[in-house]
Amino acid sequence: MDGDTKPKAGGGAGSGAGGAGTGGAEIEMDDDANKPPSDLAADLAASDAKQAAVAKSGGVQKTPLSWQDIVVVIRKPFLKVHRTELNPFVGTTMNDNIIRHYSAGGELAYYLTDVLAIGIEGNYYQHVFNEPFDLIARQARRLPTVNQYNWSTALDFHYVPVYGKFAILDHRLVTWEAYFTAGIGAGQSEVIPRDTKFPGFTNFLIQPNVGAGMRFFLAKWLTINFGLRDYVFYDHFEPTNRSATVNANAADAASHADGALINNIMFQVGLSFWLPTSFDYTTFR
Amino acid sequence: MRTHQILLASLAVLSVVGGTAHEASAERRQNSLAKDVAVRHRRLLVKNRFEVTPLFESTINADFRHVIGGGLKLEYHLTDKWSIGVIGVASASVNTGLVNKILPTLEPATNNATREPSQEEFTDHLNSMPFHGAAYVSLTPWYGKLAAFSQAYVAFDFYFQAGVAFASLQSTCPASVCSDKNPGKSTMMGMDTIPPDNNPNNDPALNSGGRAGLYLGGGIHVFLNDFLALDMTVRDYAFSDNPSGADYNADLAVTNADNRFLHHLFFGAGLSVMLPTKVKRTQ
Repeated sequence: MDGDTKPKAGGGAGSGAGGAGTGGAEIEMDDDANKPPSDLAADLAASDAKQAAVAKSGGVQKTPLSWQDIVVVIRKPFLKVHRTELNPFVGTTMNDNIIRHYSAGGELAYYLTDVLAIGIEGNYYQHVFNEPFDLIARQARRLPTVNQYNWSTALDFHYVPVYGKFAILDHRLVTWEAYFTAGIGAGQSEVIPRDTKFPGFTNFLIQPNVGAGMRFFLAKWLTINFGLRDYVFYDHFEPTNRSATVNANAADAASHADGALINNIMFQVGLSFWLPTSFDYTTFR
Repeated sequence: MRTHQILLASLAVLSVVGGTAHEASAERRQNSLAKDVAVRHRRLLVKNRFEVTPLFESTINADFRHVIGGGLKLEYHLTDKWSIGVIGVASASVNTGLVNKILPTLEPATNNATREPSQEEFTDHLNSMPFHGAAYVSLTPWYGKLAAFSQAYVAFDFYFQAGVAFASLQSTCPASVCSDKNPGKSTMMGMDTIPPDNNPNNDPALNSGGRAGLYLGGGIHVFLNDFLALDMTVRDYAFSDNPSGADYNADLAVTNADNRFLHHLFFGAGLSVMLPTKVKRTQ
């Protein structure tokens, strides 16, 4: 791995084999046998001398080293094309300060190409109340209107435009990639009644979603994923006026429910298992 | 006796040969690159450089008031991995959606016969954070490069920070609203003892002033060139606070005991300028 996008001499495969030629000359890849063995120090010295002469004469002229014309391109360390990803994950709410949902779910995705995939996902939710849920009741004497989410499912499309690698503490290299997701799905929410003597009701939700995440490659068959997903839907909440005579049963309450557009942003982390567990390169090294 | 000598000599030869073979085997297994650094000819994008970052910062999922502001980060990178820095942010505060939902339902005028606060009492107890910041030590254990859309090839690094947080909190509850001079305490009027009013809505909020605490952060530099980088960070300023300025521990009075150690999560984005602008390379 070279530290720069500009190709540098040395350090990479092929630098020794491609070292024929003198400073200022363009490399002839098929004429190596006819040339004497070269020396990098001599090449650099010749190049520096030439550049100094150019600088003194005032003109600007590019004198590329033959070695600098060699670009070392390593193979992608992980191929996904025609592979299936099985991704169990857990998630938590990021943007609701009254109720926090935890989700356990999974996604099954098939990669049509190395950057495009189609998949289906499912989520099961549990919830806890955050501190403001109690504080609002005690301090402002108001009972928050909240819904819990029960489940959701979606058909998703994935696009992987960014990939890279990084070194951990200057030694171990890890490859990773970033992906975007968009999908359409359905889910169910359920009203948590403010007064438990009145029944709640459920809502069927149409849920488009968008998201982005990162995937770190641990093995040919295993990755770890982190991502954010925004599930967008129009939810219905318990009406504010419920009594023994008004909206007492679930059907009446549902028919007078207040609606609102909701963005449920979830942070998700999971492992992906890839099938088949290995892959073959279709080009030579 | 001769057999014994031959046996000993054979064992000695075997041990020498075995040892040599073992060493040779160990040498064969050890690639010369094994102890080498992961990246050679690497641009030292941070080492011995001064980083100046004008930035924008906003709270994540605040309860009562979003804190949105701008500031400056100054950091010096002592080595390729370690750096020290300070950050300071001046902010404005905006009511969250939760506050905007509660306010219209509260009584418009104060009525001490009820336990609910008026709109004025509720909003005047909320505090804001006009200034906050931190002094920290930063570790950059990961660096790398990425390709975006097969077009842009840029270097990046991840860093983690820990240090001391500080914040200036402010609430502006006027004396006409926060009128209780002895919250939660009995007072003497002549020979008579007047019991506490058990009404936290007219108590001073006690959520103003300076605070110090713990700072944690994690972020990423995405280098646009040798001296400019996008800087995105999630920061946690943790210190004692009572954002609602109301009675938290249900003792029917607002006291210092209602303050508790809270995490204030922020997302920040900025543009880092690295000085000097020229970079060095590793061997």
